[in-house]
Amino acid sequence: MSLLTRFLQSPPVRVPTLFPPRVGPGDPRIYSFNSERPRIIDDLVLRVVESHGRDEERLLFALNEAANAEVRRLATQRDAEAEVSLDHWRRLLRRLGKMSHVERVEALKKTVRHMGEDIAGNFDVRVFRATRRMVPGVLTAIMAPSELPHEIVRTGWPRVDSLVTAEGPITRLRELARTGTLVLVPTHASNLDSIALGYLLDREGLPPVVYGAGKNLFSNPIISFFMHNLGAYRVDRRVRARLYKDVLKAYSCLMIERGYHSLFFPGGTRSRSGMVETHLKLGLAGTAVEAFARNLTYGVKRPVYMVPATINYALCLEAETLIDDWLKGAGAARYIIEDDEFSSIDRMVAFTKKLVSLRSAAVIRFGEPLDPFGNPIDEEGRSLAPSGKTIDPATYVSRRGIPSVDAARDAGYTRELGEMLPAIYSRETVVMWTQLVAHVLYRHLVAESPGIDLFGRQRRRGEVAMSRERLVAEVGEARDRLRALESAGLARLGPVLRNSAPDEIVAQALSAWRGYHTKVVANEVDPDVVIEDPNLLLYYQNRLVGFAEALAGPDQVAAAREIAGLTASA
Amino acid sequence: MSQEQSTNEPPVAVVGGGRFGWGLADTAARHGRRVILWSRRPQRPATEAIHVTQELGELAAAELIFVAVPSAFVGEVAGRLGEHLDGAHLLVHVSRGLVGDELRPLSAILREVTPCRRIGALGGPVVADALSRGEPGGGIVGTRFPEVRDAVRGALGRSTLRIYSTDDVMGVEVAMTLVGLLSVAVGFARAMGVGPATLAVMGTRGMAEAARIGASFGGRIETFGGLAGFGDLMAAIAGDTRPELGVGARLAGGMSPAEAAREAGAHIEGLAVARRIADHVERAGVQAPLTGLLATLFEGKISAEGMIKALMARRVGEE
Repeated sequence: MSLLTRFLQSPPVRVPTLFPPRVGPGDPRIYSFNSERPRIIDDLVLRVVESHGRDEERLLFALNEAANAEVRRLATQRDAEAEVSLDHWRRLLRRLGKMSHVERVEALKKTVRHMGEDIAGNFDVRVFRATRRMVPGVLTAIMAPSELPHEIVRTGWPRVDSLVTAEGPITRLRELARTGTLVLVPTHASNLDSIALGYLLDREGLPPVVYGAGKNLFSNPIISFFMHNLGAYRVDRRVRARLYKDVLKAYSCLMIERGYHSLFFPGGTRSRSGMVETHLKLGLAGTAVEAFARNLTYGVKRPVYMVPATINYALCLEAETLIDDWLKGAGAARYIIEDDEFSSIDRMVAFTKKLVSLRSAAVIRFGEPLDPFGNPIDEEGRSLAPSGKTIDPATYVSRRGIPSVDAARDAGYTRELGEMLPAIYSRETVVMWTQLVAHVLYRHLVAESPGIDLFGRQRRRGEVAMSRERLVAEVGEARDRLRALESAGLARLGPVLRNSAPDEIVAQALSAWRGYHTKVVANEVDPDVVIEDPNLLLYYQNRLVGFAEALAGPDQVAAAREIAGLTASA
Repeated sequence: MSQEQSTNEPPVAVVGGGRFGWGLADTAARHGRRVILWSRRPQRPATEAIHVTQELGELAAAELIFVAVPSAFVGEVAGRLGEHLDGAHLLVHVSRGLVGDELRPLSAILREVTPCRRIGALGGPVVADALSRGEPGGGIVGTRFPEVRDAVRGALGRSTLRIYSTDDVMGVEVAMTLVGLLSVAVGFARAMGVGPATLAVMGTRGMAEAARIGASFGGRIETFGGLAGFGDLMAAIAGDTRPELGVGARLAGGMSPAEAAREAGAHIEGLAVARRIADHVERAGVQAPLTGLLATLFEGKISAEGMIKALMARRVGEE
């Protein structure tokens, strides 16, 4: 195993190819990625050199900035990468002043190529097909490979199939994927998001997507192997150099341009609080507009469809780390959490076991597709204006009929889209039973601790109890209010919540929390339920902050308002 | 040059035949642009350069379209206009209003009812009469799209009319609205005979309040220190020809808000929006005493003297 691990850890690991796989005409675009890879990197170099290399001052600045940023980073990093690269950057810095423009362009080319090779993913059809055959065991295989044989002996294939549910206009998305390029923009709660989504896309007959994954995820060798060979490209968030960000953008733009269905998390990073994202950066997702416009300038009219989605878990793998991080207010500082549950094998095993025991652990809900300018799409894939007439999306990136690429304009469109998505997320969020029970319990905690600030309240472990009877009653009422919201098109009820009796909802939530989390969330001490871990409770209930006031009865309004106020600290 | 331009450049369109609409049309025409002006009931005859129409569909021939109808009508008119437009049109509104109890900015309304996305708001000390006469001045266009800024400059901006820009659309829209409101207060205070210092205190505190409100909506404080905020207010205090000043003066003379608005012959957004802003900021917990007082005054629930007293009686705190 350790030998295998070491082999897998020397990225990029690829299975040697003697005969390139045959790609059929109906196969997704990504099947031909490996044969296109060198050309994509050539294009990437060309494009970045064209935008940075034309102006002497701009070029010098780009190289200077990149070299300085990299020297700063690598000098503190002091790892294997630093040994290899630090000298290179230092040498470049020393020589930069004396270099001619032509030499600098050469240096830029080399740098961009190097970055591109590091970023660009891989797609091995054989790995993809093999993975597919292993479905529905693949999630377990990724998460707990050592457990797999035992699980199979004991229970047959894990029931991953029923664990992840898909909702939304899936048939339409299948159609649209044939004529245009899908850009998925889901909420982001867990490192499992991309894996769960990837699995679900395949199961639902939707094409695979390429996406940027944080380089830290590649530190888990098994995950690294799968990610790398299933289209993920690597994003090293430690690199601050602007040039690197430009290369990343150019890469993601090229992929969309070439018709690779893509996935971006507009929130940028996992939601630390557990709340549905309200402030979106969009970042790379913004390249969708550019890609659409660029294609038009080449005379290629391939539509780009933005597909919002919410990923909703009854249990979140990293809940404990994430909420701790949020409470520390260190979300920004610890942009990359290196030591969370995701990197610890035994936590993954515990999580997987727990998941398998649940009836339905995750719901992925796709929203209605939009064009990159926020217009809805009709059955034929055409953009619709508010009047209901079809409208040509090309007009948004054209002036006087001529399409153009304009970074400032496209940034404007991207911001507009970023402002539209939160409302869509909110109404497409599928409320899970654990979240609703957490909300009712937390609301009780708030009502019982008036005038205490957030941190004071979070320290009240095991001090506040709620009678089970009252908990069940309030959960029932909150569920009824949620139903009303659902019929108004403002919210969605998830599994368990939809059909179970309130008593059953409470029982299932308490049992879901038991066994996975290292801390006890809430404990049943007849006839009460005692709040043991306000932090985890906060995490799960945070998904509902936007609904707090709508879910409250007259006696609970004050506490609900206080909960609604939590968004201000998000 | 102007001849050449008028043949190459698409016409500029104006929705609304009020004073402001005509001011914009006159300015663009003076710069040699062909203009199409839509009005429900045209008040002025067409000129050689300004074509007047009652068909919204004709405006689709333009690229830049100014929306200069009272905010309450924008949704309806723009919705009908939107049926003829596509993503290539640039929309710029000049309204000093925010719509509904949620106080939605007009840019959001335009975005919702038309397919257009390249939208902007033109604010600052731009006054209808001064535009029509071609007096030197300046304005600010809030937009996220550089081509909107360029188009407004192309249609209106010359050495005599300097058009600045910012991407803080929300800030500009809130500033336009609140300066409209403060302009009524300025007209009122001057007619009451208050001195320069009182006017300065009222203006400065009023602007601080406006900035707080703007920030609570997601606008940037700095926008209020620029042309959209203080710049616009200074023009009001210096006594330009904006109709809000006259309305304020009539209120001070004891006229009811409805009469005062009628006599001014222009739609005064401030009168309608004051109460909604006051209520909204109270819910949001933003301190806005002046807005609250003005709302009460516009409802005729407080006398002119009572207003001045209430203003000066407020507790003094840290700025």
